[in-house]
Amino acid sequence: MIRLDRVSKRYRAGRSRTVVDLIASKLRRGDQHVYSASRGKVDANVWAMKDVSLDVTEGAGLGVIGSNGAGKTTLLKLVSRVTWPSSGRVQVAGRVVSLIELGAGFHPELTGRENIYLGGGLFGLPRREIDRRFDEIVQFAEVEALIDTPMKRYSSGLYARLGFSVAIYSNPDIVLVDEVLAVGDAAFRRRALESLRRLISEGKTVLFISHDMWNVRRLCNRILWMDGGSVRAYGPAAEIAERYMSEVNLRALGNQQNALQSHRGGTGEIRLTQLDIIDGGTGRTTDRIVEGGPLVVRAAYEAAARVPAPVFQIAIVDVDTGMIVASASSSAGDVPAIVDGHGVVDCVFESVPLRRRQFVLRMTITDSHQLVSYDVVTAGPRFAVVAAPAARAGDDDDEDGLVALPYRFEHRMTSVVR
Amino acid sequence: MTASPVAALSDHAERVGPRAYWELLLNLTKREVKGRYSQSLFGFGWAIIQPLATMAVFTFVFSRLGNISGDGVPYPIFAFGGLVPWFFFLNSVNSGTMSLITYRNIVTKTYFPREIIPFSQVCSRLIDFFAAGAMFVGLMVYYHVGLTRWAWMAPVAFLLLVLFTTGVTLITSSVNVFYRDVSPVVQIALQLWLYVTPVPYPLSRIKPPWRFWIELNPLSGIVECFRSSLVYGREPDWHVLGISAAFTAVVFMGAFALFKSLDRYFADVI
Repeated sequence: MIRLDRVSKRYRAGRSRTVVDLIASKLRRGDQHVYSASRGKVDANVWAMKDVSLDVTEGAGLGVIGSNGAGKTTLLKLVSRVTWPSSGRVQVAGRVVSLIELGAGFHPELTGRENIYLGGGLFGLPRREIDRRFDEIVQFAEVEALIDTPMKRYSSGLYARLGFSVAIYSNPDIVLVDEVLAVGDAAFRRRALESLRRLISEGKTVLFISHDMWNVRRLCNRILWMDGGSVRAYGPAAEIAERYMSEVNLRALGNQQNALQSHRGGTGEIRLTQLDIIDGGTGRTTDRIVEGGPLVVRAAYEAAARVPAPVFQIAIVDVDTGMIVASASSSAGDVPAIVDGHGVVDCVFESVPLRRRQFVLRMTITDSHQLVSYDVVTAGPRFAVVAAPAARAGDDDDEDGLVALPYRFEHRMTSVVR
Repeated sequence: MTASPVAALSDHAERVGPRAYWELLLNLTKREVKGRYSQSLFGFGWAIIQPLATMAVFTFVFSRLGNISGDGVPYPIFAFGGLVPWFFFLNSVNSGTMSLITYRNIVTKTYFPREIIPFSQVCSRLIDFFAAGAMFVGLMVYYHVGLTRWAWMAPVAFLLLVLFTTGVTLITSSVNVFYRDVSPVVQIALQLWLYVTPVPYPLSRIKPPWRFWIELNPLSGIVECFRSSLVYGREPDWHVLGISAAFTAVVFMGAFALFKSLDRYFADVI
């Protein structure tokens, strides 16, 4: 159980002060500013967390989301007692294990075996407890072959795996995970997530920071959304995730013009002037596509000179994984043999059988041999796939994967045991 | 180990049991020693060579050129008897000062009693100390210096040495987190400190009014006590040792209190 009561955390901005600054500050005692000899009065306070109250019960998976600098890591550091609040109370019941960085306590010159004891010790685990769990730790990390090799010979993924394994087997009541599952291969990520889920079911508490909404949704029943050091929202995972996603989408939409300006490549004979996602039903610009519904990508271009037979290529990319889930490429008859001046190209997807996740468009205009790229937009507009308005009750998006293939289950009784 | 099913809410980090504390200290010490001597051909040899080389230099400079005698014993063993505790102090404080910065990775990422880091620095130097101590026994045999009943004072001097060294390391390491100037200041101070400690010369050579100030240096009583118990085999100068013991106690307790009042800010400023 974790309880935060009106907790604030202030960092001083002008940390590396010189003696001159220090004397200047002392002369103005009680002033909340730092005086820099070169810059004069500097606001000293950076609030990493402001007036946060929170209750987390046992047996809960709490997802912590928010943009960079929202105070997520500060929260974890406060709960793990790495740092202390400037005001307010942080109360924790039970043993906390923080996975802010995997294998932080390891020493590369020591062997895997020695580091298990060192790392376990840092988590407050006595030797005989480590002895008892040793085999499990090694098995989980799959480092049997290298257990007596100095860890400097380990790959970074293996290093992280052993770090995770030691933490998870150190008998914690509360586990703090900060975006550490990004390392390691897919199989390990899955097992790590599984083990966290098991801890929750055993009545432990997991605080899980991640930008990957997919994993957050799979692990956590509640979500804490932090923004600028304060709690933006705290509630059931499905509800908060939905609100968060739609805001992220809105923000992305606001930046769309900018997005088109940046991440730009190509030789420039043709330039995209506008790239929009159109709702196939209403014909209006949108950032949401209904599951299985139509989608139109509208590209307006400007050709500075006569360009023969350009090819328009579109890729739909999963935001979380960067995986291309679908692509489309115009062929000879789709666009005129020579383009000149301004024009608009629509790419119509009759139906989009994608799961409810976020996607981003990537667009390239190349020559007919696809050797020269005229224009490349790597991060175009984003869109979210949302549930159809009349979705079946209980039709949750718990299912894995990126693509929703149409399916049905059929069952036949083949024999009956009496 | 098995926490009660419903642990109570607490405002403080869960206490680390004495056993886990001790094991963590051992593990960090081991990590430190292994890190220092791995990929080094000579390994532990360096722990002996450092005081041995300085002994040779001192013998030449102070004994031959400076005409300082060992006060009745051969100068080399006289110097070595002072150099072994001195290097323990020097090396501990030197690496200890930067230790919290060196271990920033775990200081900013996990919770554990922070004083274990400077403690482990001092502990890791114990190995050097005992290696050099073994060399000292060799010298005793070579120079036919026998043990007397005053040898039991050596453990007392050792205890004071460890406490004083730990105290100084706690202060320099914790303040160094906030002001990195501490490290260069410590470097300079340690160079000077050697000469206000009766390591190259006997305390008896210092006459008032200077003697008063040298006696205020806690290391003076400690080094003199090591020598009187093992090199000369005679009663220590209780007056000087008393001053050392008193200062050591004050320094250690003050340092520990300072460290514990600062340690909650380490992760913020490191």
